[in-house]
Amino acid sequence: MRIALVNGSPKPTGSASGILLKHLRASLSGQAELVDLALHSDSLPDGVWNTLQAADSYVFACPLYVDGLPSHVLSCLVQLEARQTSGVPVYGIVNCGFYEGEQARYALDILKNWCVRAGCRWSGGIGVGGGGSLAALAEIPPEHGPMAPVGRALHAAASHILRQEAFENQYLSVGMPRLMYRMAAQLGWRKQLRANGGKRCDLGKKWEQNRL
Amino acid sequence: MKFLITDLLELPGEIAEVYRAVTPQDKVCCCTGCFGCWVKTPGKCVIPDGGECVGIGLSHCNELLLISRCCYGSVSPFVKAVLDRAISYLHPDFVIRDGEMHHKRRYQNRLTVSAYFYGENITEAEKETARGLIAANAVNYDGTVGEIRFFESAEGLEKVIL
Repeated sequence: MRIALVNGSPKPTGSASGILLKHLRASLSGQAELVDLALHSDSLPDGVWNTLQAADSYVFACPLYVDGLPSHVLSCLVQLEARQTSGVPVYGIVNCGFYEGEQARYALDILKNWCVRAGCRWSGGIGVGGGGSLAALAEIPPEHGPMAPVGRALHAAASHILRQEAFENQYLSVGMPRLMYRMAAQLGWRKQLRANGGKRCDLGKKWEQNRL
Repeated sequence: MKFLITDLLELPGEIAEVYRAVTPQDKVCCCTGCFGCWVKTPGKCVIPDGGECVGIGLSHCNELLLISRCCYGSVSPFVKAVLDRAISYLHPDFVIRDGEMHHKRRYQNRLTVSAYFYGENITEAEKETARGLIAANAVNYDGTVGEIRFFESAEGLEKVIL
C-alpha cells in the first residue's frame, strides 16, 4: 500500500505539520510505502497529481489559519477537486496555535466537505492544540512527556490508516497545562520581537495608517 | 464603516454605507506563516503587496462583510488569503474567551462578521460548516456574528443591499 503524506504548511522547513508527519511516518514505517508531498504555495506543484493518483490513501497535515484551512491549501484543493478520485481514503491533521485542538474542527470539516466534491472518502482527522510548542518539542520522542498525547493519537491514527479504516475525529492538546503553554508562547513573542530589534511595548502597537 | 472582502471583480449589489473593499484586483498573496506581523512589525504584515494593511483597515470598521464563493464550507482561496493576512488586527497574546484560548484584541473597535456565500448546489453540510466557521471568526475577533446568507450564483447578489 502506498500512502501520500501531504505537508500543507507554507514553511518548507521546521513546520509543526512536518513534525507531526515525521511522527506519523515513524508509526507507519515499514508497513507501507510512504510518499512525501508538499503544498507550500497556492499553485499545485508539478507531479503532485500524478503522485496522488498512484497513492492508496492521503494524509493532509496543515496549520489552522483563521479557524479554517490556509488559503494556499484551499487553493490546491480547488485545483485537485476537478481531477476526481474514486473513493481514496483521506485523513487530516490540523494543528493550531491555540491550546484546544477542538478549534481545528471547522478546518477538518472543510477537508471532509472537499472529499465529497472530489470523490474521496473522508476517514477521520486529528486536531492538535498547542501547535506553537511543537517545534520546541521536536526532539522529544512522541511517547514521552508533553508529546505523549500527540504521539498516542498519531499512533492510533496510523493503525487505522494502514487498514484504510475510518475513525472519529480526535481532538487533543500537547501535554502541558494551558497556563504554562500560554506563558511560554507569550514569552516567545517577546523574545522574537527583541531579537528583531523591537521593544516589548511594540507588541501592542496600534496603527493609524490605512493605505489599502 | 464596512470592510468588504470579495472574490468578485466587481461588487455585486448596492452598498448602503461608506465602505472599503478588497477585491481580486488587489493582488494579495498568501500568508507565509512567518509571524512577522507580530514580531517584526507588530500590527502590520511584512509582505509589501498592499495586503499588509488589511489588519489596520479592519480597525477602522464596525462590520466585516465577506462575499465569497463557498468552497467546501469555507470562503474561497482569495478571500481566505486576505483574512489570513489580517491576523495582525489581533494582538499575539492570548485571552480565554468562553473557555477557549483566543488572541487578545489590539484595537477597541467591535466587528460584526457577516458573510454572503454564493455557489451552485451548496450542500447542507457545507452551509453548516460555513455558519460555524463565521461564528468562530466572530469569536476570534471578539466581535459578533451578522447575517450569513447563501445564494445559488453571484448574480443572485445583485438585488441585495450590502
